[in-house]
Amino acid sequence: MASKAVKARTGNGWGIAARVVAAIPANYLLTSLATACLARLLPMPTAEATLTATLLSFALLAVIALIAFAVRSVRALWLWMLVAGGVMAGTLWLSIVLGGRL
Amino acid sequence: MKDSLRQSMALLHTWAGLLFGWLLFAVFATGTAAYFESEITRWMQPEIVGSSDPLTAAEQAVDYLGQTAPDADSWIITLPNSRSATTQLFWSPSEEEGKTYSSAILAPDGKEVSARETSGGYFLYRFHFDLHYMPVIWARYLVGLAAMFMLVAILSGVITHKKIFADFFTLRFGKGQRSWLDAHNVTAVLALPFHLMITFTGLVTLATMYMPWGIAANYTAPQTFFESLFSSAPEVPRTGEKTPLAPVDAMMRQAAAHWDGAMPGSVTITNPGDSSASVTLKSSSEDAIGVRGEVLRFDGASGQLVQPAQAKGPALETESVMIGLHAGRFADWGLRWLYFISGLGGTIMVGSGLVMWTAKRRTRLPDPQRPHFGFRLVERLNIAAIAGLGAGIATYFLANRLLPLGMEQRADWEINSMFLAWSAIGLWGAIRPVRRAWVETLGITAALFLAIVPVDALTTSRGLLASLMAGDWAYVGFDIVMLLLAAGFGFAARKASGAKRSTSARKTYRTPERTPA
Repeated sequence: MASKAVKARTGNGWGIAARVVAAIPANYLLTSLATACLARLLPMPTAEATLTATLLSFALLAVIALIAFAVRSVRALWLWMLVAGGVMAGTLWLSIVLGGRL
Repeated sequence: MKDSLRQSMALLHTWAGLLFGWLLFAVFATGTAAYFESEITRWMQPEIVGSSDPLTAAEQAVDYLGQTAPDADSWIITLPNSRSATTQLFWSPSEEEGKTYSSAILAPDGKEVSARETSGGYFLYRFHFDLHYMPVIWARYLVGLAAMFMLVAILSGVITHKKIFADFFTLRFGKGQRSWLDAHNVTAVLALPFHLMITFTGLVTLATMYMPWGIAANYTAPQTFFESLFSSAPEVPRTGEKTPLAPVDAMMRQAAAHWDGAMPGSVTITNPGDSSASVTLKSSSEDAIGVRGEVLRFDGASGQLVQPAQAKGPALETESVMIGLHAGRFADWGLRWLYFISGLGGTIMVGSGLVMWTAKRRTRLPDPQRPHFGFRLVERLNIAAIAGLGAGIATYFLANRLLPLGMEQRADWEINSMFLAWSAIGLWGAIRPVRRAWVETLGITAALFLAIVPVDALTTSRGLLASLMAGDWAYVGFDIVMLLLAAGFGFAARKASGAKRSTSARKTYRTPERTPA
């Protein structure tokens, strides 16, 4: 199954495992953070913003899963996911601390 | 570079598709059947004849509930429409131990149905997201996860097979693996927008369960979110002052005037018989795509309109239309058949994808006589999923006609029969040599579907011929679909019996560029 080209791209067993973890649990965490951020920050009435973010989340989940297998470097993949997760967690925290909705 | 992207997408497509393929096959098949839920239920209750209009049905329902459950907190009445002849009633709290609500079904004459006990098409509908013999909540998470894998498999499948649209025009019969690939592509492309739509909107139907974090970020209690969206009637305690309910048919006429003549689809009455009673009318799901219909609320004692319809925000409107598109309750006959055929296409797409996994690998096995465990597992699970589910559904319909009418827990036994037949086929498929197993199980399934038509004619007065004479199209349609399914499984069995000779002849024919999955 795994031809040379695929091996070069997805890496060995560990590389694939790292992508699977990125594509499923880490992806869900990241998407949850993005959904929470959007729900708080979208400039619409609260209920509308919440629903919009929730509807978008499944498209985001799918796209991140594809990206996890499309990018060349597993290292870069994880780096980007961690940075994005950190930024969103910070934004969410700030938004909650500063108050507003909730 | 480009090719290696396609190859890693192929890897993703293959394994994402395989892992949940068997479950997805069952979800697609039963979900497709659910487009004819009302018709299946009618077929499974041959005692119920005639039709009913919403106004009379509402009056009968209020009379029935006034006698049966005058002290309930709420009554929910689902009115008959152009496809169903019965009225469904729910009331809470239930007088039975351990149940939160009680229910009853009224026939067109206003009496509780005396038809055979069955779950009808409703069971197939519920199975497609609640499964069976397991807690509903876990089933829904499992089906949601499978749907997510489906979405990823569809998207990666399109990237994998960049020539998918051009290849749509190639369908090569009798070419083993090639034919499976072509069948997979034709069913995929033909209804690609449908597959994407149905998978995404399926996730949306349970969106707040799968992705609750948007709500968690904005609300301390999820209930606040739902109340602000759906403006449900506030719960008020009974005043204790007995007051008869104002005529519901007058309210329904008023609602119909609001909705360009469309009758309500359901009536909810809280605190019935009390001076605090309230009546909520919801527009019928047949009259608009959006499933979150228009709502009008009336004062139960005076019959005055208290809450006019509220405009929905764009997000709620979008969600409502997405769920509506998934359920297809608005669809009339032409569109309903298109839904059904697209759903069948999806089922065949999943099934052919599963078979292709083995067809593709068989020729490359180190020792084709003794395949490794994983290969054999997939092979046997394919038989259990594809032939097994078919046989199970056919048996469900046969059990409806053959189980004794007065049997204890008859409805449960219809369902148990389905799973018994399914398991039996799975077991048969596991112990027989694999080629024979396919031919035999597909053949049995075809025979079971074929048997439905004569069994129906012998056990009821509404067989194919009688229904044809009476112009009873729901029955005629059901029997014809059974015959077509029999023909389909029979054709598959024939193909499976001839497949052995053709695969070995074409072992060497392989173009790497055209083998994506």
